[in-house]
Amino acid sequence: MVFPEARRHFVERRVADRMAATGATSFARYFVRLSGDLDGEIEKFINAFTVNETYFYREDYQLACLTSDLLGERLRVKPFGEALRIWSVPCSTGEEPYSIAIWLLENWPQVDAHNVEIVGSDIDTNVLEAARAGIFGERALMRLTPKLIDKYFVATEPGRWQILDDLRQSVRFTAVNIVERSETHPHGLFDVIFCRNVLIYFDDSSRRVAAENLYENLAPGGYICLGHTESMSRISPLFEVCRFVNAIIYRKPLEAMHG
Amino acid sequence: MAERKSRILIVDDASLVRLYYRQILEAVGFEVEEALNGLEALERLLINPPDMLIVDVNMTQMDGVTFLSTLRRQPLPLSSIPALVISTEAGTQDIAAARAAGANFYLVKPLSRDVLAQYAAMFCGLPA
Amino acid sequence: MPLIRNTSDNLASGGPNPAAALTSVSPDERWAAARAAADIPTSIPALAQALAQETEPRVREAIFTALARIATLESALAVLPYLRSTDASIRIGALDALRAMPEAAKPLLPQALADADADVRLLACDLVRNMHDADTPRWLCALLETELEANVCAAAVEVLNEIGDARALPTLWRCAARFPDDPFLAFAIKAAADRLRSHLPGSSG
Repeated sequence: MVFPEARRHFVERRVADRMAATGATSFARYFVRLSGDLDGEIEKFINAFTVNETYFYREDYQLACLTSDLLGERLRVKPFGEALRIWSVPCSTGEEPYSIAIWLLENWPQVDAHNVEIVGSDIDTNVLEAARAGIFGERALMRLTPKLIDKYFVATEPGRWQILDDLRQSVRFTAVNIVERSETHPHGLFDVIFCRNVLIYFDDSSRRVAAENLYENLAPGGYICLGHTESMSRISPLFEVCRFVNAIIYRKPLEAMHG
Repeated sequence: MAERKSRILIVDDASLVRLYYRQILEAVGFEVEEALNGLEALERLLINPPDMLIVDVNMTQMDGVTFLSTLRRQPLPLSSIPALVISTEAGTQDIAAARAAGANFYLVKPLSRDVLAQYAAMFCGLPA
Repeated sequence: MPLIRNTSDNLASGGPNPAAALTSVSPDERWAAARAAADIPTSIPALAQALAQETEPRVREAIFTALARIATLESALAVLPYLRSTDASIRIGALDALRAMPEAAKPLLPQALADADADVRLLACDLVRNMHDADTPRWLCALLETELEANVCAAAVEVLNEIGDARALPTLWRCAARFPDDPFLAFAIKAAADRLRSHLPGSSG
């Protein structure tokens, strides 16, 4: 990555953030960590600079965890026949909820045996409009194989593809401000919530309220996935920590009171 | 053949305290990891269980006593990782609460280098 | 259209008196009432009362959040006494709540930094960190000049290390001289001094 002088402040902030996140008391100490790739710091460092990018199959280790562990766990405790509900919030221009849909179709053998409801929500109504239209460029599709693109998208013009109508219909998009309980509460209870790379941007008290709102929107035993470099340790003590293969996922206690 | 170094996870939200312990413990041959509160500690030990824990009490989001109670409810082997609490709190109630939550031992800050190194060796089953 | 799920929903932010539900037998209702109270500044007395009796940690957390959201001097005053709690999770809950309302808590800091209880002074040092005010490092320096408890000094040094600048150096050295036998404080002061010596007033970071 190369940044012009005009982006100096942006770069300084990102470095400062990583230093704070790793408890480094000096740049020299942080640099040791970075050059030694301690704890995967190189990836975290890169993520810190690219956190606003969205694309299909981003952080797909969590999608893998969804089908290998999370859905199975949820099915064990849910009343038979009840739909599995997954929330992608913020959903931005739709890459995340559509990724979930495609991933399930491709990787979950039981997908036809269950009702799955996917909801994508964002505070920005412009991105929601784009999400409903479902048209994406090359960069958004860069992690998808040509085979997947062929299967689920239709080329509309050079460099642009639209996701199939069936998939566009399978995701419900809503406007929501996750700090406003009156907006989050009516969305009901979810089995899995993906809330990646947004909580870190709030101030302390808004972050607490948002975490409490998301807690309320989880069914007891439901899971919430944060961004790869995020941790509940800086956000809220409400959730339990669970480890699955290569993923740390948070959970509302099974014996929790209803939100 | 070199033996694996014993690994210690320091759980304390003060960066200078973590640095102090790190320097002492690395100098006597331990591998050191850090977490700034009980929640981060849980995440780290789920991925990579240490040989012992050094735990502060007053930390943001999840204090040391709550962390220990949560730790002791995990499945083995995590639940039996030895934990040394090192805290500024010297009151009998604090000490009793930490013990009840699962602390193996409780020391009050400040700690000298020698005492820390000795306790670490003892907890990891190494000669002093 | 939003999907309405059939949960114990009646207890949402409605009702003529959400504050009454703060003492309900049901933790669900207390949780919902605490969350609803975040929008109602007049509910501070009821929240304070509920805080004194609440035994469910997550409900307590919601009460603290509500007080932090209201973010007035009155709500900060309602939280402050819990820094003295003998229960670590309540102490930390209070600290995190005060941390989340820096403007409201700020007027209370000078007296907290001078509290008779060393534990309160120690925790108060941590609150200075996110006051985002060029003057607050001076409060920590003032504390360091006269503080008798080494652990409180250590807490102040930890925060100065992050927000201070080179002007703190004389204070740091005087403090080190007052506690010649404390190994950690000597270490911490040296580390902070090394870092701050190149931080001139007015520079960032």
